[in-house]
Amino acid sequence: MLRAVRSMRYIVILLGMLLLTGCSMKTVQPWEKGTLAKKSMQRGGGNTLMVKFTHHIYFSKEASKGGGGVAGGGCGCN
Amino acid sequence: MQLKTTLSLLTCTLLVGSVLQAEDYVSVQYVYYNEDDGRTTIHTPAMEVSKDFGVDYNLNISVVHDALSGASPIWYDSSSGATATLNEGTLYKDDIVYADVPYDDKRTALGMMLTTRFASRDELRVGLNYSDENDYTSRELSAEYLHYLDSSKNRSLSAGVSYQNNDVSVYCFEESCDASSGASGVMTQRVDVWSAEIGITQVIDVTSLLKASLFYGNESGYLSNPYMSVVRYYNASARLTPEHKPERRTAYGMLLQYSKALSERLSANMSYRLYDDDWDITSHTIHTELYYEWTQHLTLGAGLRYYVQSEASFYSSRKDYFTNETDASSDRRMSRFDAYNLMLSGTYDLQNNTSVNMGMNYYDQPDHFSAVYYTVGLTYRF
Repeated sequence: MLRAVRSMRYIVILLGMLLLTGCSMKTVQPWEKGTLAKKSMQRGGGNTLMVKFTHHIYFSKEASKGGGGVAGGGCGCN
Repeated sequence: MQLKTTLSLLTCTLLVGSVLQAEDYVSVQYVYYNEDDGRTTIHTPAMEVSKDFGVDYNLNISVVHDALSGASPIWYDSSSGATATLNEGTLYKDDIVYADVPYDDKRTALGMMLTTRFASRDELRVGLNYSDENDYTSRELSAEYLHYLDSSKNRSLSAGVSYQNNDVSVYCFEESCDASSGASGVMTQRVDVWSAEIGITQVIDVTSLLKASLFYGNESGYLSNPYMSVVRYYNASARLTPEHKPERRTAYGMLLQYSKALSERLSANMSYRLYDDDWDITSHTIHTELYYEWTQHLTLGAGLRYYVQSEASFYSSRKDYFTNETDASSDRRMSRFDAYNLMLSGTYDLQNNTSVNMGMNYYDQPDHFSAVYYTVGLTYRF
C-alpha cells in the first residue's frame, strides 16, 4: 500500500504539471484536428470490439486490471 | 464557418480515445483463440452497433459470445480422476499432482452505452453490462462524465464510476455449505466491485495528444476461484482443499497514454500502466502500437506489449508449503511472471463504406503458457 501511495504522489504531481503546462501550449484549432481524429491515433486502430476482447484476455490471464475506463463488465474468467 | 463548426463537432467527438466515434456503424468480428499443449480454445463471435441520434445522443450496443473448452492447471487427486478435483480428505501424497483438468463453458455478454452531449459539448456516458455463463452472472452500471476545460476543446477532464454485482456458483464442502446450497451442494456467493477513474487529456499539437489517468478498484466477497485447490499439511496427512483468497481487495493505479502522428501515414500509440493492490501485487505494463497507411485503403498495424507482475502474499506453487493459513492459493495468476503480446493487423477500406480487418496476436507467459489468436471482421458505416 505504501508503494501505491508513493506512486500516486508522483502521478498527482504529473497531472498537475499537465494541467499547468497545458496553459502555455499553442492552441490547436478544431479544423486542425483531422490528424488527431484518425482511427490510427486510437488504441486498436479504432476497433473497439477487438480492444475489448484483448482486455478480456489480459483480465483472465493476469492479476491486474484498470485504466481502460470504468465500464467493461465482469466475468468468471479470473 | 459552418464547415468549421461541423468539423469542430466531429473532431472533438473523435478526439479522445475513450470517446465514441461520431459515425454510425455496424461491426461484426470473430476471434479464434488457442493455447499451446491443448489448453484453452475459445471461439468468439461478436457484434457492435453504434448509432447517433442527432448531434446530442449516441447509442452503442454490443453482444459477445464466448465458447470455451480445454483444460486448466490445478492440484488434484489423480487417484480419483480429474473430475474429483476438490476431494477434501487425507490423501496418498503421490496421488496429488498439478496438472490440466478439462473444462468447458459458454458466456454471453451484452453491453449498452448511451452518450449524451450537452450544449457545451461535455458528455455523459451511462453504461449497462450483463454477462452470463454456467457458474457466473455479472451485472454492471457505469457513468462517466467528460468536461472540456477550454473553449478550443484541447483539454478535457473525465471522471467515471462503476458498480458491479456478481453471483458465483460454488460447490460447498461439509462445513462450508449453507442453507442456499440444498441437495445440489451448490451455493451462490456474491462479489461486489466498485471502480473509479479520473483522467485528463491534453492536445499537445496538431499531431499529438497525451492522456493521464488514475484509477481505483475495490472488490469484496467471494474472490476465490471455485475450481482452484491447494495442498495443506503435505508433510503430515496431506489434504486437498479449495483455495482461499482474501475477501477484500483494494487496488490503485495510473495510466499514461501518448499518441503521435510521426508522419502523414505513420502513427504511434504508447502507454504505461502502474498497478498496485493490497494483495502485494504490483504490475507494470508497457504497450506500443504503430499504424501505417500503406495505401489510401490499406492500413497495417503492429504492436508490442510487455507486462510484469509481482507475487501475491498468499501464493505458493509448492505442495508442501501451506498448513493452516486462512488465505492460500496456488493459482498461477497470483505468481510473479512476465508476459509478452505481439500484435499484427490489417484493415482494408472497400469503396462502399465497408471495411474488412484481419489480425494475429501472439501472447506468451514464458513460465506458464503461450497462445495465438486470430481475428477477422467486417465493419459497415452508414
